[in-house]
Amino acid sequence: MSVTEYLQQSELFSGLTSEQVEQIVALGHEVFYNTGDAIIREGEPSDEMYVVCSGMVEVTVSRGAIPDVPGPPQLTSIARLGQGQMFGEMALVDRGARSATVRCVQDDTVVYVIPRQRFWDLCDSDHTIGYIVMRNIAADLSFKLRHRNLQMRLGGGER
Amino acid sequence: MIYKVSYVVIGKPNLGSIVNLDAPPRVGDRVQLGNEMCEVIEVVDLIPPREDFAYLHVTCRPVDEAG
Repeated sequence: MSVTEYLQQSELFSGLTSEQVEQIVALGHEVFYNTGDAIIREGEPSDEMYVVCSGMVEVTVSRGAIPDVPGPPQLTSIARLGQGQMFGEMALVDRGARSATVRCVQDDTVVYVIPRQRFWDLCDSDHTIGYIVMRNIAADLSFKLRHRNLQMRLGGGER
Repeated sequence: MIYKVSYVVIGKPNLGSIVNLDAPPRVGDRVQLGNEMCEVIEVVDLIPPREDFAYLHVTCRPVDEAG
């Protein structure tokens, strides 16, 4: 399966024509990861967003460093994202620092990386693409929030 | 149709996953979530379908090794 075919199965590109998807594909590139590799780290500056073409990644947040307790902050897993899922989109929208760390949890995971500025330039020059993709990002963020709410309700944790 | 699925495991707040599937999960299916084998006990529409996507919420429970 080609990168374009993979990406067409992502909600990010839902409603776009093949030609429009190709325009976005032309902005980015594939990166391969193995288990344990950090893709993005909480607190770092951001200028890219990502789509999982294949494999699996895990999103973790730190529970903060505890005063007088040596060692790194405790990391808590909040979700695993598989094929077709996007991450890093919050920073794409709000330009803030990374809100979570994302690590690869399956060997040979393939991630498509889309640079923020090039993506914004395309959205500015083609408002149809911009509207559809921003609507899709909003829908994905909403889905993740619903998922998180259910996780809190059924998972039984304050984590 | 692409099925965007939110998996949540009862009592395991850190095992949730979001994946796209070609076919909807069914009650009784077994699925590996993280290091845990789980059984699907409920499948519901999370939100209405849109374009080529259906949005499902799946509740699972851990399956013990003997199970």
